[in-house]
Amino acid sequence: MKLSACIASAALSALVMLGGSAAAFAQSDCKTLVKPSPFGPADEVGATNRVTPAVTKAAAAEIQTGKVTPMANNLIDGVPLFGTRFTKTILTSASLVPGAEYGKNKLSYMEDTYLSQSHVGTHIDGMGHIGIKDCYYNQTAMGKYVTQNGIKKLGLENLKSFATRGIIVDLVKVYQDAGKLKPNAACKTPCIDGGTVISQADIEAGLKLYNITLREADAVFLHTGWGDLFQQFPAQNATYNGSEPGLGKAAAEWLAGQKVILVGADNWAVEVIPSEDKEEAFPIHAILLTDNGIHIIENVRTDLIAAEAASSKRGTFFLSMTVPRAAGTTGTFVNLEAIQ
Amino acid sequence: MPAPRLGRRFVVGGLAAFLGNAPLPGIAQERRFRIAFANLNEEPAARLEGLGFTGLDVRRSFQLAARTLPVDMLYYDNGGDDAKALANVAAAIAEKADLVIEYNNGAAANAEIARRLKAAGIPALAINHPVPGAPLYGADNFGAGRIAGLALGQFAKQNWPDETVIAAIVGNLDDTGPAADRARGIAEGLRQELPDISLTRLDSGGNPLRIEGVLSKFLAAQSKRKVLVGALDDASALAAKTAIELARRLGDCIIVSQGVDRSIHGGAGDRKELDPSNRGSIVLGSVAYHMDRYGYDVLPLALKMLGGESVPPRTVTQHILITAKNIFSLYPPYDMN
Repeated sequence: MKLSACIASAALSALVMLGGSAAAFAQSDCKTLVKPSPFGPADEVGATNRVTPAVTKAAAAEIQTGKVTPMANNLIDGVPLFGTRFTKTILTSASLVPGAEYGKNKLSYMEDTYLSQSHVGTHIDGMGHIGIKDCYYNQTAMGKYVTQNGIKKLGLENLKSFATRGIIVDLVKVYQDAGKLKPNAACKTPCIDGGTVISQADIEAGLKLYNITLREADAVFLHTGWGDLFQQFPAQNATYNGSEPGLGKAAAEWLAGQKVILVGADNWAVEVIPSEDKEEAFPIHAILLTDNGIHIIENVRTDLIAAEAASSKRGTFFLSMTVPRAAGTTGTFVNLEAIQ
Repeated sequence: MPAPRLGRRFVVGGLAAFLGNAPLPGIAQERRFRIAFANLNEEPAARLEGLGFTGLDVRRSFQLAARTLPVDMLYYDNGGDDAKALANVAAAIAEKADLVIEYNNGAAANAEIARRLKAAGIPALAINHPVPGAPLYGADNFGAGRIAGLALGQFAKQNWPDETVIAAIVGNLDDTGPAADRARGIAEGLRQELPDISLTRLDSGGNPLRIEGVLSKFLAAQSKRKVLVGALDDASALAAKTAIELARRLGDCIIVSQGVDRSIHGGAGDRKELDPSNRGSIVLGSVAYHMDRYGYDVLPLALKMLGGESVPPRTVTQHILITAKNIFSLYPPYDMN
């Protein structure tokens, strides 16, 4: 290759690598690829628009005993991640060295540098996470809003409150009761096997367990038992990531029709892996996030609230979860609790 | 072959179902079929048809494909043993299977299996190895090899028009079965594009690691030439790549493989030999055999038979050259969270 050709090639590569240039993205006709938001053409919020004061007030009625059940996994090195994804904490503790304290009162301090990608552990997927081609939630042609340091539209800073009613759908119990539980041998507690498609009928059976009728702005959590493998990290990381039981397309469309604001699960993608159609990539992500603005929360710890529900015969709770207003981000780890 | 007696509603609904790959609520409630699948060999170390796929890959494809179809599967492992295959078909008959999918490579046993199933009035569908009277689904090894040969030849014409180009076929050349057909296909494709090309066969003796040695010697003797490498399976392709890297001949060689097993497409892992961000790899591509997707092709055929429709006597796997350009579209990666 001639030198001039090399330089031109290198320049082109650099342009593509930078990713910040709108010129690097082909703009699609998003009106043909993604549904419009029911909240108007300027909407960047998504389903949390549904969490009105009336919704929060009604959800508060779920707090009867005051019992709080954790629903997040610890953020710690070694939990299941894919490929080159990483999470690492570095502690700064220099002032603990004798003589390095501050002032005559000898004050010392420590702080952390947290090196991590945002979609790790128990985390929320925002509207900027998934699109079809360059088209994201509310027919947003994302190419022109992408910069090297974040997105200028659909970032997490737009979200409203998650102070709503949460629901646990104990699919393990549904499958056990129906005599169709085919567990994975790697699970130490009952789990539905990877690749199992969770149907609308399964979810309805789970709601029926505790006489729950879904209502607008509910947050739905699916207990599949697959999270048992997450708990065994790092021993079962490969099995955990290799497949999972999860939502099928018809069930996802049905949940979207119920106007829920989020779907969480004790697995890494909420949806069934491998997908029902072998040549489709993460179709439930597109149905929930891209077309309906419904958040996905992955790697949720559901076993404790499932056990609590079985014990108390109550599958509903007040969802306590806040999301950092991390501007321009597509997702973040979250802590969530069920308050009953 | 006898078709089960079925109502008109099933025939119409069933047809709509497998054409659309959609959930089948109506059908599921009306009639579910018991389909037996007797697999060639599920020993974890056994590789099927000289490629990188295992019997568990094939079985898993049936499990996944069956999820949205009105079928209850009965699984059997023939263990690469004709006697076991005969015992399995007896078990499937005793279980009153509606149809048997037979994947067994013993011709005599397959003839006996055909006789027993016919006597029991159970239709059969064969995979890769004929069962008398049964439709056959399987690979076109010669055709797949030819795709690779054509791709190699076209690459040479486009990229090395003024160079001296030679070719090597690497893999288990002792195999007189499917690998031999693949090798003939590669040669045919190469000669269609480059009629005068010199072609050498480098035998691994069934051990891909041996390729490093024989290919290294070959490359040392061909220091001024460009080399097109047709690998008979993905393991041989990766071994050839290592040999080429060690010989520092990355700029002189290109490889096209056969199979597209997990070592190429990555599955749920992060190790993908073909990757859109790795277009400079000397592994140009691999021809897909889709053995980890057989269930998606075979079960719809079985349902057509059970629906009383005729199916062709031979259905061939849709072989396609998988490259960095199309792999993410045809084999979507799992690794996103």
